[in-house]
Amino acid sequence: MIKIQSKNILITAAVIGAMTTSTVQAANWLMIQGTEPSGAAERAKVWGFVQAQYQKNTSDENTTDPTGGYIPPKLIGPNLTSQQQFNVNRARIGVRGTGMPLDSNINYFLLTEFGNNGITAGNNGSGHVTDASITLNEIPGARIRVGLFKTPGAEEGLQAIHVFDYINFSAVTNQMLLERYPNQTYTGNIAPVTLPSPTPLNGFDKSVGAFRDTGVQVFDTFKMSDWEHSYAVMIGNGNGLNFGDNDNNKDTYLYWSSELVFSGEGARREGMKMFAWTQNGKRRLDNTNDSTHNPTKFDRDRSGIGFKYLKKPFRVSAEYMKGDGMIFVGPDKPSMWINDSAGAVAQGVGDGANGKANGYYLEGGWYIPGSKWEIDLRYDVYNRLTDDAAFAAGPNIGKSFEMQFKNITLGAQYHINKKTRINMEVTDMSAEAVDFGPPSASNPNNNLDGLDKVYAVQITHIF
Amino acid sequence: MRNFYTSLVLLLAMAFILPVQAASEFAEKHVVLQISDDDPFKQTLVLNVANNLIKHYGQEKVDVEIVAFGPGLRLLFENNANSDRINSLTTNKVIFSACGNTIEGMSKQLGHAPALHKDAKVVPGGVVRIIDLVDQGYQLIKP
Repeated sequence: MIKIQSKNILITAAVIGAMTTSTVQAANWLMIQGTEPSGAAERAKVWGFVQAQYQKNTSDENTTDPTGGYIPPKLIGPNLTSQQQFNVNRARIGVRGTGMPLDSNINYFLLTEFGNNGITAGNNGSGHVTDASITLNEIPGARIRVGLFKTPGAEEGLQAIHVFDYINFSAVTNQMLLERYPNQTYTGNIAPVTLPSPTPLNGFDKSVGAFRDTGVQVFDTFKMSDWEHSYAVMIGNGNGLNFGDNDNNKDTYLYWSSELVFSGEGARREGMKMFAWTQNGKRRLDNTNDSTHNPTKFDRDRSGIGFKYLKKPFRVSAEYMKGDGMIFVGPDKPSMWINDSAGAVAQGVGDGANGKANGYYLEGGWYIPGSKWEIDLRYDVYNRLTDDAAFAAGPNIGKSFEMQFKNITLGAQYHINKKTRINMEVTDMSAEAVDFGPPSASNPNNNLDGLDKVYAVQITHIF
Repeated sequence: MRNFYTSLVLLLAMAFILPVQAASEFAEKHVVLQISDDDPFKQTLVLNVANNLIKHYGQEKVDVEIVAFGPGLRLLFENNANSDRINSLTTNKVIFSACGNTIEGMSKQLGHAPALHKDAKVVPGGVVRIIDLVDQGYQLIKP
């Protein structure tokens, strides 16, 4: 009897121990997503997560002016047909591991998306492969990852989305980094709408890039005392989730991070990380307002620098980013840059194909001690088309189409358990065409007038 | 002279007894832990059990030997993600035994012998080792 009791105690202690000790895992996004724990990976670990949400946008269409209407920031994406909606914005399931467990030098990662977001909205059906990669760990200091996967870059894009501390991205990440791919042929601007909307404002016919590309990445991490230094060099098609290349040019990606590790492991490891990155490529775009299919190539360059500090109960992070070329000017402009037949930039659009932009975010979190609550606060700024040419003629002569977006987001997270949490947040939005004065007819601020707040609540469950 | 023979007999008896008692001469409990499947969670679990035994009884009061065979041998691979924990347990006198038969089989699949943790002790057969330890009074736990 004593024997049985002692055995039960041992097993109970073991189970408790197992629950309080997390699996040893690599310690940064490059390693977490691209490798498996050596000698301890499963042949096929099925995993995924579901995110369900409700969002309400309280902006108004500016009915005081007859030209006012609902524009994308006043509606809920990706559909842009309503100001409030329930949505299963992410439903991902995948499998990862090592096909031959005896050989830890090779691992794979496969993930699919079945939720409703920029990846699956539009003409892309309900399912899409988002990651399909193989990592070869044969060469010390130079792991090689091939296939479709997240590109080394900005923190908001590179990090695992299911542990993202907010529901919506900052404006600079959403507009400048989350790439929209121009439609194959010229597609005209979709004007501001009334509700119910007769035409969806989102006119893109391809998935967003989802911070991913198909290519080859060389990367690794080096531990030096309490510091961990990581690098990644990648060459990819520059065509997002679309697998193949469409412009006979390759994008290049460079990434470096150095982190002073405090404690813990995995996605919420405590430490002070500094990082920098750059991406350079070209895009093919038919941007002339005519019936001829005559795409040309435009540069698309992005870079950024940032840091993240996490030592509970506090978290602080910031990142500055800038972009040159292929600046997204709204989902209602699927050609991203519109010329009239004479070749001049159309009124109210701006030169996104050749434009420049920059932006940043500063955010922090406070994990309320002794509770399951976390408070988050983020301030983000995005300056779009900072060097846009001024109109040469017309009523807005001398004015450029530079836009400035500023958002303040206050959020709270309730961690039900390690795999389930509820996010709540409210974002106070503001945007302005900086060269234009107060809202009036033929003035872009007319449509921006009435921009207000987005309330969002989301539950995430990881399995 | 009779005292001499008595002492000799006692010494010989101790020589046979001591190896059976393995790491600690003061150990009151003897536990052999089996790891034989592929599940990484089991790797964590068996190490947790060993750790909890040491914490509960004290290093001097319990002998713990972990015997790895079959797919469970991956725990004792040189670059296993749990190597630091194995190092830590080794300093607490936990013994790690690797099955020779499994090594032979894996060598055929890999084309070479798997590199093992520096503190892993190769035994001819994992199951045989467990049977021998049980015969010596060890309790078998299969987390």
